[in-house]
Amino acid sequence: MKVLPADKIREALNILAGEAEVYAPLVRGDVSGYIKWTDGPGDELALDILNTYMPPKHIVMPQTENMYKFIATGKDAQVTEIVTAEGPRIIFGIRGCDLQALHALDLAFLTRGYEDEFYKARRQDLAVIARACYQPGPACFCESMGVDRLNPEADVVIHVLGEQGLAWEPKTPKGKDITAKLQGILVDKEVALPQAADMKVKVDITGLSEKLAGMFEHPVWDELSSRCMNCGVCTYVCPTCYCFDIQVHNRGEAGNRFRCWDSCMYKEYTQMAGGHNPREFKKERFRQRFLHKLQYFNERYGANLCIGCGRCIIMCPNEVNILEIINKLKEVQVDA
Amino acid sequence: MPDLDRHTNPLVPTMVKVVKIIEETPDVKTFYVTTDEGIPFKVMPGQLAMVSQLPVGEGMFSVSWQAEDHLQFAIKRVGLLTEALHEIEPGQTLGIRGPYGNGFPVDECKGKDMLFIGGGIGLAPLRSFIKYCFAHREDYGKITILYGARSYADLCFKKELFEEWPQVPNCEVFVTIDNPEEGWDGHVGFVPAYLEEINPSPQGTIAVTCGPPIMIKFVLQALEKMGFTDDQVITTLEMRMKCGIGKCGRCNIGSEFICLDGPVFTLAQLKKLPPEW
Repeated sequence: MKVLPADKIREALNILAGEAEVYAPLVRGDVSGYIKWTDGPGDELALDILNTYMPPKHIVMPQTENMYKFIATGKDAQVTEIVTAEGPRIIFGIRGCDLQALHALDLAFLTRGYEDEFYKARRQDLAVIARACYQPGPACFCESMGVDRLNPEADVVIHVLGEQGLAWEPKTPKGKDITAKLQGILVDKEVALPQAADMKVKVDITGLSEKLAGMFEHPVWDELSSRCMNCGVCTYVCPTCYCFDIQVHNRGEAGNRFRCWDSCMYKEYTQMAGGHNPREFKKERFRQRFLHKLQYFNERYGANLCIGCGRCIIMCPNEVNILEIINKLKEVQVDA
Repeated sequence: MPDLDRHTNPLVPTMVKVVKIIEETPDVKTFYVTTDEGIPFKVMPGQLAMVSQLPVGEGMFSVSWQAEDHLQFAIKRVGLLTEALHEIEPGQTLGIRGPYGNGFPVDECKGKDMLFIGGGIGLAPLRSFIKYCFAHREDYGKITILYGARSYADLCFKKELFEEWPQVPNCEVFVTIDNPEEGWDGHVGFVPAYLEEINPSPQGTIAVTCGPPIMIKFVLQALEKMGFTDDQVITTLEMRMKCGIGKCGRCNIGSEFICLDGPVFTLAQLKKLPPEW
């Protein structure tokens, strides 16, 4: 098997970063995330962090993204430039959970009617180097959400071997191209792959989507939502939450229209100019988030919109726990 | 860089010019927009378009009529963007993108009697279907229009309502206002109650309604009482929207997006969705 020796990882990332933007799990201050690799002084790879504080969704949908520039003068107005992302990108070290999230985003942005061209521009030339995940964390439940953590569907799969470096398995033609670029530093070696530890947390979601279809008006939502403060942190750290707002920034006559992450936890999200708001209260917004994750996305795209990364469980300031919620939703009686 | 005049990016507007503005009521104006090459795109009755005033903002509006050489939008002043739109004058350049949504089922309704029930600015989307029926008069049976607003001043499209539409063969127009006022000798009362008074027959009829959510809810109850089945009742919904292409997330009802799968639903379709509108 090909192996990237531990002392060559930095060199490999530099080689790849010479031809593409490379995003790798790094720590910056208190926050970890998939950050652009520049080989700067603070760029220490954090391959073992579970899970990175921020998910990798910003690589395909930046937190704020310019869409187009315009000039508006008196009665005249014109679009002067459509901003399109260009160039190849590589995600390095992504885990199966976040990769499945990326595939869910693909369904949302690229299927069912329209293709989102801004998303497509960032997505089409993206190569994925994913790591097999042998040691799940205390809040991880990816397997329950159908994630194959040991064989992620990527261009290259890496296996972290500690001091021996990374076992390196190209899986696709794109992955073989990337591998060819590292010809000089990959070595062929017999190595034993790590033993996979069991998941510490499991939940059974069989039949949940169908059951939820009859639970919209169930009183259990009052109880489940009571602890939620609608702060929205779960939606920001969620690798599959993709809702966005479109806003404008201008200085004098010139400006640009951009989109940015939004959250269904906020009242303004559905507040209409005339005053009507179909999700005016906390319970309604809370219910929307969980039904979107566990029922609506399934009905529309045939996939879960939760991939079991556990970030929302860890980050929630008031201990709202999606696993407890799923279990309670399964327990309650529904009138036929 | 993509060609700015011929780009196909569904989130980027094309520029249109406002060629005429009509004051319908104290807070509703109709804007006629077009380009040098004619209408920016073809629209079916009930479809939506995103109208933007750079740099203020962007909002989704129902196209209230597609004329041969321009599109019409009847817009009520309710928020930041619409305040700004109400300030503009003819000659102003606006951005527009669309069309979005499914529109009214104009073909499925052929051969039917049509009953339109509107309240306030809710007549704007219905008007596109009403005028479509008039333009294809032989395809539709009897046309009944019931419209109400808070006061006489708040009635939109007065010329059509009182002069033009009642002249159309086999078309009846009923108008009501919420409270009595001097000089008004027409009907006074809310739309759902007037509907029950008129008591139209459901036989071979399709009812199409749009208005404030509270009016729609009572109109739907009244229609059910009169014997209209869920397949005979059509409504068009509104919801806050940003993208128009089913991506930004906010306009969903259950797993359907109003901007893509709607805004037009039959009551039968609506009853399968969560009551969250």
